[in-house]
Amino acid sequence: MNIWQVLSSTWNMEPWVLITALALLVGYGITTGFRFTKLSALYILGVLIFVLALVSPLDYLGRTYLFSAHMIQHILLLLIVPLLLLLGIPKALAERALKIEPLGSAMKVLGNPIIAWFLGVGAMWVWHLPSLHNTVVANDNLYIVQQISFVLIGIIFWWPVFSPVESRRLSPLVSTLYLSSACLGCTILGMLITFAGAGLYTAYLNPADSIGILPLLRGELCLTPGVDQQIGGLTMWVPGCLIYLVASMVTIARWYGAPEESELIPNSGAGRLATASHKNK
Amino acid sequence: MSSRIPIVPENIKPLPLLKENEGMLSWVASVDHKQIGIMYLLASMVFFVIGGIEALVIRIQLAQPEFGFISPEVYNQMFTMHGTTMIFFVVMPFLIGVGVYLVPLMIGARDMAFPRLNALSFWLVIFGGILLYYSFFTQSGASEVGWFAYAPLSEKPFSLNKGPTYWVLGLLAVGISSVASGLNNIVTILTMRIKGMTIRRLPLFVWMILVTSFLLVFVIPVIASAFSMMLLDRLLGATFFTPAHGGSAILWQHFFWGFGHPEVYILILPAFGIISEVIPVFSRKPIFGYEFVAGSTVAIGLLSVGVWAHHMFAVGLGNVANLYFSLASMLIAIPTGVKVLNWVATMWGGKIYFATPMLFAVAFIIEFVMGGLTGVAIASAPIDWVVTDSYFIVAHFHYVLYGGSLFAIFAGVYYWFPKFTGRMMSETLGKWHFWLTIVGFNMTFFIQHFLGVMGMPRRTYTYQDFPYWGSMNLVSTIGALILALSILVFIWNIFVSLRSGKEAGNNPWHAWTLEWATSSPPAVHNFDLVPPVRGRRPLWDLEHPDTPDEPNAKVV
Amino acid sequence: MANNKMLVGFFVASESIFFVMLILAYVNFHNSVTDGPTAFNSLDPVRTGIFSLFLLASSFSMWLAGRSLATKNHLMLKIWILVTIVLGAIFIYGQASEWFGLIDQNITISRNVFGTTFFTLTGFHGFHVIVGLIMLSILLGLALFGDFKGPKSDGVECVSIYWHFVDGVWIVVYSVIYLWAFL
Repeated sequence: MNIWQVLSSTWNMEPWVLITALALLVGYGITTGFRFTKLSALYILGVLIFVLALVSPLDYLGRTYLFSAHMIQHILLLLIVPLLLLLGIPKALAERALKIEPLGSAMKVLGNPIIAWFLGVGAMWVWHLPSLHNTVVANDNLYIVQQISFVLIGIIFWWPVFSPVESRRLSPLVSTLYLSSACLGCTILGMLITFAGAGLYTAYLNPADSIGILPLLRGELCLTPGVDQQIGGLTMWVPGCLIYLVASMVTIARWYGAPEESELIPNSGAGRLATASHKNK
Repeated sequence: MSSRIPIVPENIKPLPLLKENEGMLSWVASVDHKQIGIMYLLASMVFFVIGGIEALVIRIQLAQPEFGFISPEVYNQMFTMHGTTMIFFVVMPFLIGVGVYLVPLMIGARDMAFPRLNALSFWLVIFGGILLYYSFFTQSGASEVGWFAYAPLSEKPFSLNKGPTYWVLGLLAVGISSVASGLNNIVTILTMRIKGMTIRRLPLFVWMILVTSFLLVFVIPVIASAFSMMLLDRLLGATFFTPAHGGSAILWQHFFWGFGHPEVYILILPAFGIISEVIPVFSRKPIFGYEFVAGSTVAIGLLSVGVWAHHMFAVGLGNVANLYFSLASMLIAIPTGVKVLNWVATMWGGKIYFATPMLFAVAFIIEFVMGGLTGVAIASAPIDWVVTDSYFIVAHFHYVLYGGSLFAIFAGVYYWFPKFTGRMMSETLGKWHFWLTIVGFNMTFFIQHFLGVMGMPRRTYTYQDFPYWGSMNLVSTIGALILALSILVFIWNIFVSLRSGKEAGNNPWHAWTLEWATSSPPAVHNFDLVPPVRGRRPLWDLEHPDTPDEPNAKVV
Repeated sequence: MANNKMLVGFFVASESIFFVMLILAYVNFHNSVTDGPTAFNSLDPVRTGIFSLFLLASSFSMWLAGRSLATKNHLMLKIWILVTIVLGAIFIYGQASEWFGLIDQNITISRNVFGTTFFTLTGFHGFHVIVGLIMLSILLGLALFGDFKGPKSDGVECVSIYWHFVDGVWIVVYSVIYLWAFL
């Protein structure tokens, strides 16, 4: 097999992915009245990336052969897809949804920046504990739970920064601290994976080569387990961090564009700032 | 002028006794931010002369092949101390000192948020400097292991002298001082601004100090912990960085550069701030793209902490890591380029007045872009492999640190000297200083690019008589002597201007930020009256009530 | 003033980077000890775990001290600060006796990388606890002289932030050194 054959033959139309995606789209359409706007474009893009990340070769390779493919999928599902979904939700819809219990009170708790931060960073760390990850790739149900948890936790993580309801957002300076400390969390994990030495994730050491592409990957593409793990770690470290960085630039740009009254730190923010930076270690 | 209203908020705690701010005692006991700022500047000036003499010794030793001006041991001490002094005891104290002097004035405050902490920061720098230089008097002299003190060379079996221990202790003191002043700056800028001075109206210099302070607070602990480990290695026989006992020398490199790369931005961001103040004033135009200058600083600050591994391409991190870090490092060129474009656009169509501060600011842009371009080149791993640890790197970082930070420092001194002292600096001597600097600087360092590409390694004690090496090094050495002459002119200028400079008045440059609204030098309490802040250029608004910057701004 | 608390907040954030580096050094060498003492064969997680509970409890008593101040209950303020000091001191006693026990077995900072990283990490943490105890003693002294009128005091709140930080760091340190080795 050459690389194109691999990429064209490893699509895996998982029904749960397609059903979830359809439900997401139909639900959005019904609540917003099937109008195509800039927001809905973001939302649809988010759903599209969600589907692509889970049915494309990325998914197959990431589960069986390549840790790096898993990591790209992980970054897409935890950081990109939830962000796009969240950005695509109109303010009015979000306000209506927050009135529905128990969703409203749940978001009040989960949307607390400290909890959201620990969930967001924790999702990265916990799911990448080597023993857990090795179990997950071998277990279908657990795998589905993991993917869904990425998206849900991603939404919670982005909520304090990009919530459609402005009053739920952190001020720009605190957002920057929130995001850069999260970036530190993902940097450290990426660093540990990159420099840990090959074989941290034993599942990828000697995969069952059911479609016979191992020689291609290991030989022609030079993706030995060591290189593969390095690419994975660095993908989390560098592009992963850049996403947080771009996001904090967006919050600052948004603040520049906002009317004069909104200040970088609200008057009551000083105390909260201190506690936030205290907890975010 | 009738709109001047007294609105400086009183500090909640009363300011320290005024009598501490008078007479000889003030040089020891003062907690006034202006006095401490001046003391920072004087200290950095003294260290600058010391570091400069070390540089001259290095250059003289390299003036011709196989020269024996000093012994190899002394040579190693010279380049180690030169680098350490210039980074930690010249550029950092200077920029922090200017910040300490100007930040409260620019935001309309009476003092820093924590005046005593401010004094502590200053005296820790002096303490650190004494510790560092005391090592010359120990048995086998100062540290000889280079400013980045790579393990295991800096470790026990290889460096048995006490030099590196003093070196670590001195830098730990400076590190603690930097964190303290970073904390002080952050709290001052966030909480002590006068009414109307929103963060979006902060002078860009204050913005840069704010971002730099965040870098100090979050990056210095990285090196502080690495220094602690090195100290434990050297004193208690711990084995962090000694491979022979299970430690890891690469770990030191990671820790050091994890600090070292953001440090580069700590050294250059306040310089950007000085340039962003000088260029608009001497172009008679508001800064072009204020938001972009401020926002790109945040981007630089955040990016800078994630790219240190590009200092370690030659270590063998693997091709994948090299690739990622090459790309990430090149990204920093984007926000930096944004700034350069903004400065040029500010000058574009302005009525440029080439006083000495402006000359240095314009030269800064040119020299810094040179250093930036070679920086982008060596961010690419294959190029770095060829030129790493050669004189190409020496040329690159001197273009960034001398052509960048120091040129901005000179611009800043000429620009704010009237405010600091009440007297103008001599323009004639200033122009002599400028042109001697330009000639000397480029003569010294430009040719080192070629020496580096031809293979001359950095930190080499001497070299064989290869074709052209001798003559090129001689050119560089002559350049260094011209540079030394320029510094003498500079010091003479300060001396002369202090005694007999022209009276400056409150606002000799017709600048727009708040520090120019008070007397020169400012009184201990800074302001009697502060003009209302309704835009980014309060003094412009005051003088041109009909055409304010922000016509719709509310009166506070 | 919010000033003081903001200062301590950022200071604590800065300190946490310091500890992150020490922890990274520990993690870096976790698997590289081939012979000699390791966390697994020389530490007692249960004993240290019990002493850790004292430190955790001291965080709680410090919180109660703050609450007492808020309700202007000055007697309880003094008592809770005293309790915090005693609990912190017990933790330090536990640390000291653990250190002496290890040193008696000739496990020192220069024995191998485990010794190096273990003593550095716990040592710096212990140093921070001792600094905290000194600050708490000063607080207690000031409280005895009736310095805190309540309901708010920056002094109490700043020391409290620091103390919770020291406590939080220990949770991470304990997890990394003890739980990682024994779970």
